[in-house]
Order: sequence, then C-alpha cells, then structure tokens
Amino acid sequence: MRSDLIRIYKSVHTWTGILAGMALFIAFYAGALTVFKDPIARWVAPPAAVRQVTLEDSALLVSRLLASRPEALRGFQLNLEITERRPGRVEWQVKPKDADEHDNLSGHFYLASLDAGGSVRVDETQPSQLVDLIDILHRVVGLPFDDDPARWFMGVIAALYAVALFSGVVVLLPTLVKDFFALRVGRNLKRMWLDAHNVVGIISLPFHIVMAVTAVVFAYHDGIYALQDRVLHGGKLSSAWSGPKPQGTKPEARDPAAMLPPLELVARAKALSPGFEPESLQYLQLASPRAMVRVWGNDAAGLSPRAMGGFVALDPWTGKVLSRDFLPGAQEAASLTLSSFFALHFATFGGTPVRWMYFVLALAGAWLFYSGNLLWVESRRKAQRRGEAVPAQRLDTRLLAAATVGVCMGCVAGISFSMVAGKWLYGHVADLNSWHWRVYYLVFFMSLAWAFLRGPARAAMELPALAAAATLAIPLTSLLGALVPALGWWAHTSGPALGVDLTALALGLSLVWMQRATARRVRQGSADSVWSLGEAQARGVQPLQPGEV
Amino acid sequence: MTTTSTADAQATAKPGPRPIQRDWVSRTLGGTLLGFTMAIGCSGLLTVVLAAADVALGTRAQLAMWLVPPVWLSVLGACFMFASGLRTWLWLGLANLVVFGAYFIARFF
Repeated sequence: MRSDLIRIYKSVHTWTGILAGMALFIAFYAGALTVFKDPIARWVAPPAAVRQVTLEDSALLVSRLLASRPEALRGFQLNLEITERRPGRVEWQVKPKDADEHDNLSGHFYLASLDAGGSVRVDETQPSQLVDLIDILHRVVGLPFDDDPARWFMGVIAALYAVALFSGVVVLLPTLVKDFFALRVGRNLKRMWLDAHNVVGIISLPFHIVMAVTAVVFAYHDGIYALQDRVLHGGKLSSAWSGPKPQGTKPEARDPAAMLPPLELVARAKALSPGFEPESLQYLQLASPRAMVRVWGNDAAGLSPRAMGGFVALDPWTGKVLSRDFLPGAQEAASLTLSSFFALHFATFGGTPVRWMYFVLALAGAWLFYSGNLLWVESRRKAQRRGEAVPAQRLDTRLLAAATVGVCMGCVAGISFSMVAGKWLYGHVADLNSWHWRVYYLVFFMSLAWAFLRGPARAAMELPALAAAATLAIPLTSLLGALVPALGWWAHTSGPALGVDLTALALGLSLVWMQRATARRVRQGSADSVWSLGEAQARGVQPLQPGEV
Repeated sequence: MTTTSTADAQATAKPGPRPIQRDWVSRTLGGTLLGFTMAIGCSGLLTVVLAAADVALGTRAQLAMWLVPPVWLSVLGACFMFASGLRTWLWLGLANLVVFGAYFIARFF
C-alpha cells in the first residue's frame, strides 16, 4: 500500500482517537459494568422486609390486588424468582403524567404482598438507581441528560470510533503479519505500548466493529426510520408496526379474576420453547383490548433480543400466543437476525461465560483508548539531548496527559464511590438516588481538576491511588457490613452479590499494581517526559501555572 | 501513530506538490453526506429484495435500517483512499447514481 495513503490514515486514526478516546473510555468502563447490571443492583439493594407470597398464592395476590388497586391494571410485574433486587412478588411503577414511555426512573414504585389474613398489603419502595446511573454513563458518557441530543452526540462519538477502527486497521495492514503477536518487551517502551495497543485492537476488532455499528444505530435509528419511511416505505411503517386496529365494537372488559394463574402462563410459555427459562411476567393494559402478558426470560442455548432477555406475549385469559417474535430459541429467521444485533451488543447469548468475555473485552477496550492517548503524548515527547538540560515538554502533551488521567481515573473512582455511597449513605439521606449522581459528579470533576492543578506526573500517582482505594472500599464495605452490624451496612451472601465484591477486589488490586508501576516511572523514569516528576521540577512548575491553561 | 511530531509538523508546514491531497473538509463532508445517501440507496435495494422474498414490512424495515450504519461508516472510513477531495465527491457521486439507478430499476421487477 502507498506510504502517503498510510500517512493520511495515520492522521485520521490519531485525531479521531484523540477526539473520541476519553468519551469512549467512560462508555467502555461503564459498559463493562452494565454487563453485570443485575448482580450490582443485587449488591446495593438494602435488605427488604417483605412478606413472601408463594408462586401458588400469586394468582390470589394478582386478583385481590387488581380488585383493590385499579391503577395496577395499567401494568405490573410478577417476579418468579425473589432476589435482593426484586424482593416482592408483585411490583409496579406509577409514572408521572408527562413521562416519556422509556422513562423507568421517575414516579412512584410499589410492592404488593398478602398479609397473614390474606388481604393485600402495598408498600411504596425506592429502588436503587445505581445501575441506571452506570447505564446512563455508558450510553451518554455522563452527560446529565439521557435525551435525544445527548444520544446524537454519542452517535458522533461512535462514528469517530468507527473511523478510528477503520483507519487503525489500514495503518496496521501492511505490517500486520510482522507486528501481530510481536510484543516487543524491552528498552523501547513506546514500541512495547504500540505493540500492545495493536495486539489488543486486532484481537478485539470484531467486538469493536459490533459496538461501533450498534452504537450508531442506537443513536440515530429514529431519524433513519423516519427518512426511510418517507422515501422507501411510502409512509406505511407506523401502521405496519402497530398492527391492524381492533375491529368492531369495544369488547367487554374482562374480569381480572378470570385470568389464567401465573404458573399456568409460565407452563404455556415453556411449552413453546423447551430451553426458555421464564424469570418474570409483565402484565400490560389489562383494561384494554390490547391486554397481554409478556413472559420474560432467557434461554441459555439461544440468544435474547433485549438486554433483559426475551419474551413471549400471551393473552392472560386464554393463553393464546400473541407474539413470539421476541421468544429466545423460537424465532423466525428474520427476527432472529435482528435479535442477534441486539444480543451481540448486550452479551445476551451464550450465558455467563460470554458475559465474562464481554466484561474483559470492554475493559480491554477502555485500556485501548487510554493507551492510545498515552501513545499520542509519547509521539510528541521532546527527548533530552546528550549534555543538555531536561527540555520542557509541549503544553498540549501536558494538557492531554492530565486530561487523560483525570477523566479515566475520575470515572473509575467516581463509579466506585457512587457504589459504596449506596451503603454508606443508606438511611442517612432522604433521596439516596440523587446522591449516587452527586457523588459520581463530585469525584469525577474533582479528579479532573486535580489532574490539571497537580500536573500529569503527580496526578498519575495520586488518582490511581484514589481509584484503587474507592474500588477496594466495595468489598471492604460488605465485609464491615457483615462484621459490624451496628454500622447499618449489609452484605448479601448470594453468589451474584459476592461476585461483585470479589470482582471489585480483583479490580482494586490491579489498580494498586498499576499505581505502583506508574509511581515508579514518575519517580525514577527518564526525566524528559510529562510523566516525570523531574520534568515538572525542571520547569520549576509546582502546579500548572494559571496563565498556561 | 509512529510518525513523530516533527514529521507531522513538516507535512503540514510544506504542502508542496503531493500525490495524495489531504482535503480534510471536502473528503469528510463527501464521505459523510454521500456515504449516507448511498447507505439509504443500498437499504432501498435490500427492501426490494426482501419484499420479493415475502418478508413483512415491519421486519423488512428493521433490516433495512440496520443496513444503513455499516454502509455509511464504511464509506466514511474509505473516503480517505481517493486521490483528492474532488475525486472523493466524483467517485461517491457515481456510486450513488449506480445504487439509486439499480434501486429504481429493481422496483419495476
């Protein structure tokens, strides 16, 4: 390939990477955690004192609930498995009047159970929104609003990411055979980092292509559909999706007490696809002609079309199948193709091993963007000539180095502190969910400010130490919660909750190792670098001078 | 990424006669706009094929939507291969004509 073409693609790779890199770090680090959204939600959920209702009694609970609380006719969820996150058999949300249809965070949340006398007891709850915070960070990189403009912004980031992937492959192609698996560990540190960046990039390339394409789809699908509807489908799209209008006169309202019992609906769903494991029942619009129950679940051998699994829609009275387009393991070819795009993004195929694989790939992706920024800085390093004084490094490299450390470590520390705040502040503040946000933003912006005030060399020692401490605080909080009940903290002993503690322990220890390696480099490494304490001292710069920025 | 800062600085400081012109703005605009229209055209071809295979509109429209970003992003990535910004527009314009021409012809069958 022509060398000037390679040079052009090198510039494209460099600048798309620099523009998108830090946003992508946040998206990938938070994205790695969203793979284990449910375990994290279970870890942070406070112990709930809800009277348990057996599955056999759930039919009674549903009919008595609907008789006494007609608002539940609009929709409620029946949990087949009771976990820390889903402590009640039946739960529902009452949204504010002006809420968006995708808004699952605002409004009031209720749990229903039966008391000893068999009458319905309703408790209002405040479910933790910690995992929703992590998910929003993942989707819109910490912009405070998860709305359309934020998604479009993220779409631009995703497009830059796609171009960075394309150009990175073009640059690497001519030397791919030579460079692949060549991890030249040695004195040339930049060579080693570049080799590592290339190997990680090439090995995880299919994963990254999937993420770039799906992220652009998630950002712009509404606009693309609207345009295609006008130019290709002749404006018939919305009627094709909503199905035929109900015919004739309004059907009589059916008696909720006559619905099939939940266990019967579960049995019918399982009969449709033997590998399907139902997890919850979502009842919708019971007072309308479109009444349905979605039996949600997963299939260990199939793929699930949405992040929370797949479903079959049944008529709650007759058990008639209304739609099996989203039923894992029993989809038509075209629906299966569409579902696979979602499953490839959400890691909802192949069970737990694939989830772990995505977790590792996402963390490796975060590292890829971090190392890309380090390579940008390293390429612009001013070397010390023999016999001359240590040169001052360029201002842009110092600023990018500080921003990289501040953003990346601020994000890691912010998420970890926000997690432990769920236990530390529980019972001490009125609105714990808003405190998850406050803690995250406080830690993130303080870290960023700290990195600029202290300069990259010092911040590269101090902020990873903060991130390590925050992450190690996750298992420590659980340990203290178990040992010292007076603290009011808690430790769940279910596998997923313990898995969160153990994973945080491993991540925290890796951060400690990174911190020690970086500190060694800052103190003892060659002085002609933004990462050297010697360089900062040679410039006589304590913190960055205000006039410089 | 192996270029040093000095090489980059020289490249921008001395434009001179170059075999490949950078033309960042016109290339990127061409790749973004014509890549998008070409992707819509390709999705049109796909809907024609799927309609012939009796795939329902609701499903066909989703598959057609999913085709747009991969085509768009590939063109955007490839638009730096052409010799200049002008050639980017000419080649991609021609590709658009071919795709939309094929779409309108295919609709008659």
